Amino acid sequence: MRLLEVSHLRKTFSGNVVAVDDLSFHVDEGEIFGLVGPNGAGKTTAMTMLAGLLKPDSGSIRIQGQAFDPDRYEHRAILGMAPQNLAIYTDMTAIENLRFFGSLYGLGGTRLHQRVDAVLELTGLTERSDSLVKTFSGGMKRRLNFGVALLHQPRLVILDEPTVGVDPQSRSHLLDAVQRLCRDGVSVLYASHYMEEVEALCPRVGILDNGRLMECGTLPELLSNVKRELRLCVSPPSPALIERLHGLAQVQQPSHDELIVTLTLDGHLERAPLDEQLRQVMDLLRACGTKLRSIESEEHNLERLFLKLTGNRLRD
Amino acid sequence: MNAWKITLKDLRLLVRDRRTLFILLALPLIFITILGLSTGQFLTMQDKNQLIQIAIVNEDPGEAAAQFAENLRQKAGLDAKLVVNRQEAIGKMETGVFMAVISIGPKFQERVEELTVADILYLDEGQLSEGLKSLDIEVICRGVFMNTEGIVRQLVFGSAVQSLAPYVTRKNKIASRIIGNTRAHFAERREAAAGKNSPPPKEAAASGTRGNVYQILVPSYTVMFAFFLVNIMARSFISERDIGTLCRLRMAPVSRAGLLLGKTVPFFIISLVQSALLFIFGRLLFGMSWGALPAGLIPVVLCTSLAATTLGLLVATLARTEAQVQAYATFLVITMAGISGCFMPRDWQPQLMQQISLITPHAWALIAYDQLLVRERLNLAVVGGCCAMLLTFAGVFFAVGWWRFQTLDEPA
Repeated sequence: MRLLEVSHLRKTFSGNVVAVDDLSFHVDEGEIFGLVGPNGAGKTTAMTMLAGLLKPDSGSIRIQGQAFDPDRYEHRAILGMAPQNLAIYTDMTAIENLRFFGSLYGLGGTRLHQRVDAVLELTGLTERSDSLVKTFSGGMKRRLNFGVALLHQPRLVILDEPTVGVDPQSRSHLLDAVQRLCRDGVSVLYASHYMEEVEALCPRVGILDNGRLMECGTLPELLSNVKRELRLCVSPPSPALIERLHGLAQVQQPSHDELIVTLTLDGHLERAPLDEQLRQVMDLLRACGTKLRSIESEEHNLERLFLKLTGNRLRD
Repeated sequence: MNAWKITLKDLRLLVRDRRTLFILLALPLIFITILGLSTGQFLTMQDKNQLIQIAIVNEDPGEAAAQFAENLRQKAGLDAKLVVNRQEAIGKMETGVFMAVISIGPKFQERVEELTVADILYLDEGQLSEGLKSLDIEVICRGVFMNTEGIVRQLVFGSAVQSLAPYVTRKNKIASRIIGNTRAHFAERREAAAGKNSPPPKEAAASGTRGNVYQILVPSYTVMFAFFLVNIMARSFISERDIGTLCRLRMAPVSRAGLLLGKTVPFFIISLVQSALLFIFGRLLFGMSWGALPAGLIPVVLCTSLAATTLGLLVATLARTEAQVQAYATFLVITMAGISGCFMPRDWQPQLMQQISLITPHAWALIAYDQLLVRERLNLAVVGGCCAMLLTFAGVFFAVGWWRFQTLDEPA
């Protein structure tokens, strides 16, 4: 069932700066949906609109099939957001922060204590719950920032760059916690520009650039657009070998004594499987008396797709 | 309900922010104390330093001279001491012990004997037309206190006429009888008033407060520092916006009105505490009076605090950065304090400036405090009018602040 459905969302600033343009995607219940994009792609603007903090110029947001109304308590209670900024009070302790934000969502008494304890445990902050947040490391602050979003047990958690500037241990802890949420049936909208995180966490991903959704789909669907390559460096080259490799692999001769043989496997499996191609090439090499000097593999991944779609131009 | 939670959170943060607490609570007290010290009106210094210290050298052995010297010693506003030797008295004056020396010459009694009732009634035309010289009295003042000399001369001459009048009128039977009857009448009135044991009239209770500089200083600085909250309140808003907690609060099930209320009330409470502390310390440390109607201070404090906190709200929604708050809010607060008369008594301002100052809420608060703490005749209508104006300011500030808060959606 679709928990969140975004249709043709558009937002401009100062009349002519288009931050989000015709954005459409959905998040199913219990799904982790990744939203990736370079800086300034419009991720944060999109998330701010989804959180009800910014009014879209046009388009619609539906939650559980209903038009999203930020003024409705039920709709706000469905959402939890960990913004990119550390939106916590550093002059308060972790437990004070959690109790304060929990109380705003109507939690009180035993229920509030239970939820605070659960979140402290989930974020690994139980030991430091009574310490002022300003004494925390960057990773601990990130975990608390994340924990605050979970206090009221929202159905959809929006995470905007949740692992920026944290150490590997805190990152691993946060990613585990997100997966635990998913197992508990919570939907997660995960925005990041760490491709490996998104690839590891999100079965479905949307790639956003210049406010527009460039691609959206499951990882295999998206990666099917990126070729995998196996490059063999062989020596010595011979005209007969080059002749016989034609149609089987791409051949380049960077120097007089070596040859680069490239085997390509695209996602659509138009060619023969890689092991079959490799067997044929190896047989040819053996037959021509050519030796294999090195093998280099280039796998398809989200980062390659991302760069392919968004280009290598620097973004500010 | 959520507004109250935000209020409690902000109060907790304020209490932990020692620098802000110092600015809000300790700084006004330090300011007032320093100004009090510089005007010589701090604690027990008050009585001594308010008085003009003089030495009396009496070279006339007569009864009238002795009576006059005694009257001078009892005179309000003077701290007079008898010194036997004229040179010693002048020496002490030059070393700063006394401000002036009053020398009663040996011909004082003789001159008094020559006076008639007409001389007392027509001071400018009779034997007393030459003032103190006519009575063989000399006033010697320190050079640096030229203005003091004139004041002391007037005081001494007035006191001399008051002392001598009974002597002179004794010689005239009719005048003596009239004065005797009048004094008897005054005595009866005093006894009747004492018998009723009635409380002193309002103007009498309030009178005597004029001499205490804290009657003006405490309310002035209470008003000025109440508006210093504008700066701190705006910074709190900006900080909440910068770190992103404002977004988090807006995402929570808190209405905009609740959020605004929750962010405003803590500063209103702090402002009330600040004002209360200043008035309490003003009374305990500086001996200021709360006037004839202390309860009248409450609505003025409430309305002033409301105007200050709503102005803070307005500035918070207008400023985008902390640097803007530092620059514009500080300028605004200092300028408004200066225009309104927080730095000096409003009475010293020219009429035009007093009119201009009415564009600030500070001025209305100061007028109300002036009525309650300084004026001999309390006019409650003026106090009520000032409170109404302060509420109007608060209403306008809140309305514009509320409107601005609605537009905070758009990123800077």
